[in-house]
Amino acid sequence: MSATIVIVDDEPDLLDLLKLILTEKTDHQVVTTTNPQEAVDWCREYHADLLISDLRMPEMEGIELLKIIKEIDPYLPLIIITAYGTIGSAVEAMRHGAFDYITKPFRKEHILMTIAKALRWRQEHLPA
Amino acid sequence: MKLLNLFRRKKPSAAAAGEEFFKKKYQSFKNLLEANNAALEVMSHMEATQEGDYVFDLQFIRASAESILEKVQTIVQELNTLGDNRYAELVKVYQNIAAKIQNETEAAPPSLSVPLVLPLSQVDRRFLLQVGGKNANLGEIKNRLQLPTPEGFVLTNEAYRLVLAENRLTEPLASLVKELDIDNIEQLTEKSQILREMLLPAKIPQRLVEEVNQQYGQLVAALNYEPYLALRSSGLYEDLESSFAGQFLTVLNVPFDRFFPSYLEVLASQFTPTALVYLSQKRLLQRQLAMSVGCLAMVPARSSGVMFTADPTGSRGDVLVIDAAWGLGPAVVDGTLTPDHYVLSKQPALDLLEQQISRKPRRWIAADRGIAEEAVPLEEGSQPALTRDELLTLGRYALQLEEYFGSPQDIEFSVDLQGRIILLQSRPLTLLTPRATGILPPHLEERHPVLLDHGTVACFGVAAGPVFMVDHQADLSHFPDGAILVARHTTARYGAVLHKAAGMVIDIGSATSHLAILAREFKLPALVDTGKATQVLRPGQEITVDANQIRVYDGRLEEILQAPVAKTSLLAETPIYARLRRVLRWITPLRLTDPKLANFTPAACQTLHDITRFAHQMAVTEMFELGEQARQGEVHMVQLQTNIPLNLYIIDLGGGIRADHRGRFVSPEDITSIPLRALWRGISHPEISWAGPIPIDMRGLYSVVSRSLTAAAPQHADFWARTLAIVSENYLNYSSRLGYHFATIDALVSDVRNDNYLSFRFKGGAADESRRGRRARFLGEVLTRLDLEVDITGDLVVARLWKYPRPLLEEKLDLLGRLMGCARQRDMVMADESTVEWYIQAFLEGNYRFAGEPGSVANPDQG
Repeated sequence: MSATIVIVDDEPDLLDLLKLILTEKTDHQVVTTTNPQEAVDWCREYHADLLISDLRMPEMEGIELLKIIKEIDPYLPLIIITAYGTIGSAVEAMRHGAFDYITKPFRKEHILMTIAKALRWRQEHLPA
Repeated sequence: MKLLNLFRRKKPSAAAAGEEFFKKKYQSFKNLLEANNAALEVMSHMEATQEGDYVFDLQFIRASAESILEKVQTIVQELNTLGDNRYAELVKVYQNIAAKIQNETEAAPPSLSVPLVLPLSQVDRRFLLQVGGKNANLGEIKNRLQLPTPEGFVLTNEAYRLVLAENRLTEPLASLVKELDIDNIEQLTEKSQILREMLLPAKIPQRLVEEVNQQYGQLVAALNYEPYLALRSSGLYEDLESSFAGQFLTVLNVPFDRFFPSYLEVLASQFTPTALVYLSQKRLLQRQLAMSVGCLAMVPARSSGVMFTADPTGSRGDVLVIDAAWGLGPAVVDGTLTPDHYVLSKQPALDLLEQQISRKPRRWIAADRGIAEEAVPLEEGSQPALTRDELLTLGRYALQLEEYFGSPQDIEFSVDLQGRIILLQSRPLTLLTPRATGILPPHLEERHPVLLDHGTVACFGVAAGPVFMVDHQADLSHFPDGAILVARHTTARYGAVLHKAAGMVIDIGSATSHLAILAREFKLPALVDTGKATQVLRPGQEITVDANQIRVYDGRLEEILQAPVAKTSLLAETPIYARLRRVLRWITPLRLTDPKLANFTPAACQTLHDITRFAHQMAVTEMFELGEQARQGEVHMVQLQTNIPLNLYIIDLGGGIRADHRGRFVSPEDITSIPLRALWRGISHPEISWAGPIPIDMRGLYSVVSRSLTAAAPQHADFWARTLAIVSENYLNYSSRLGYHFATIDALVSDVRNDNYLSFRFKGGAADESRRGRRARFLGEVLTRLDLEVDITGDLVVARLWKYPRPLLEEKLDLLGRLMGCARQRDMVMADESTVEWYIQAFLEGNYRFAGEPGSVANPDQG
């Protein structure tokens, strides 16, 4: 199954790595940006199956992004990327409806597994 | 009784001060150990990350490096507290390494303040988002590597956005791009034309004009002439997406009065039909269309070329490939002529392996306000475009760039009219890497029995070869190429042969041990803590070590060996991985392995790991010397009440004696120090006799008499007759001097295995040199068989053990206690070499009374 995954993180290096993994290991379409607002715009205009977002970004906090995204598409799963010290906020994000969180640094198998789970969840929950 | 008298004369406050002094030293030692373990743990984590399976960012590198730096700083401070500032030099070494690490982990500039124009002298990868990959790399080459590059400045992505915004082009361009149908070539060409026509007549914002004028003015001032410029595109995603190469425009030899029209042409080049297809396929965001442009002073090139730091076809090994032609760069890359082709070896030394010199009839030159093609004189056209010296210089630059950026590079360069090489670009070269199948063939274990299936992975991988068993005293010079190193311990000295070994299997040791770290550096498939490799495996036996599955098989398993294992993944070739490796250069390599070498000094420490190794070794030495200091200090002691004539005095640093104990005497049951309790079990073993004379032959007796006549009498003979133990709950420093020999033990025994160690020294004796030497060999051999690492110099025996689990260390201390009792005065009965082996066997068989010992005679009267 090929899905469209939007990734937002203010660290371009991390975007590069994620994009490389997903291009190498999956058929998913990957859209990356360092600007959360652009991710929101993209999700409004196009079809996205999954959003992966950093928790702390200068322009917009991950939780705020989550709230906006849930208004656009309540069945769009969001995976939060978090640093070790901010796990508390990631748990908070899950209370607000984030699908899962993953702590940096993480193994590529870990993110691939989490992505697969999130996409399955979307398939199961998306209204026919 | 002089020592006790001395104590009695001292005031109680002095005793308390002495105790305080010890507590302070011991606390420093403990702090140092804790910091050491914590630093090694983070180092291991960083090392594992660089293997290529992880996703991380600069923040991770910075946080990890800062954490290690903080711990190593503690180590250096505590070592100086322990050693009364004798290691002040280490502070400077630390600061020097810290500065290099901090230089690599500098924070990115705030993304909110983006300038329109940046001088190249200020550009590096921190500005990746503003200047794109190509310009960022050129900035790194200029400012970090300080290799020759042109002078110039960079128009950032922000300049592009400003041009679009002020000309109200942002939305129209975005919607045109969005509506692209890449399958409709006709429509694509039409839209491409529309997009270009929208952009080319754009008005340049006044702010941008002013900033560019200012930068060009500075360039003129720096060069002392008005240079023409080369305008080179730098897209944000060019770095990783090599298919962008050649899509975007480079305009050469632009006079400054034509600057902005040329700039717009470069910007418009991202709307060529091919580039649009690419953008569309990659579904790049509008923001990512932005382009930065590098504006470089033209290099009037005699020759130009491209250089690959690897053979991109993958068919040849470790080579550099260089193509070059006369004049400016386009001659090489536009395919209109065959350039010279050079192949250089990278190893063992840079050298020219082969060259194919082509006839190059034409060249591009800088002409008035642009470039022009001209004919090359016939004779010149057939000459090599590069000299041998130039090729070797290029080769050196190439190796530097490859190492710095962390992956094979594709490099563009020019050679100016004076023969100076100027680097113009460096970007990753895409190579295919083979992948492991990871599938085990069926019925494998029937054909190849599993010999070991337990252990800890020190380094992943699969290797096969003959077993080469080594021990502490093995002559490593005979270690054969391609053998599997099998040993009882992770002794760092084996590091000397890891480059020859194909794999490694160790009985006891942790993945954080120095040898395990070295194995990872050598990418040597390695298992540690297998428990019984030295028992199960036979020297010369052909085995296959599969560290991925934690299996050692009998025989050579071609099936799993043939699966090519990619040592690095594509992830490992990204800039962030290269940055991690650059940081790790100053952290993890371990060069200081042997404390016996003359270069085991602070000045020889080149990495944080070296510092931890040096400091750990010195801290143990300092703790050893604490025993000596105790004798001169005024400390409160208790005496052990026992029938064994040892006169054992104990200084408790905390937790070593039962808390509710009062008074000057303690019984063995009052000892709560784990290592002393274990040692005492051995000393007080019912089969060990500490009292009375041992049987001795007449020559042995004569040897004692003659030594007594020639050797200087020990000073303060009554003092030396005492045994001193400095203890805490987990620590023991034990010094005993009985007659002519002394023995010291320094041990830390706790539930934290990485902290644990045992160090034993034994020297001297009453008999002559050869007999003392025999006893030393007896002790050494027994200790070796008890798994300690042993060094014997004359009659000095030094034995050590690290990172053993608590129960095993307690057992060793128990045996050490028995051994010391058995070794008492045995130098005098060891009449010849053959007796040494007898005593070894007797001890190992538990014959502690040495019944029937070969040198004995009936009842000689010698104490």
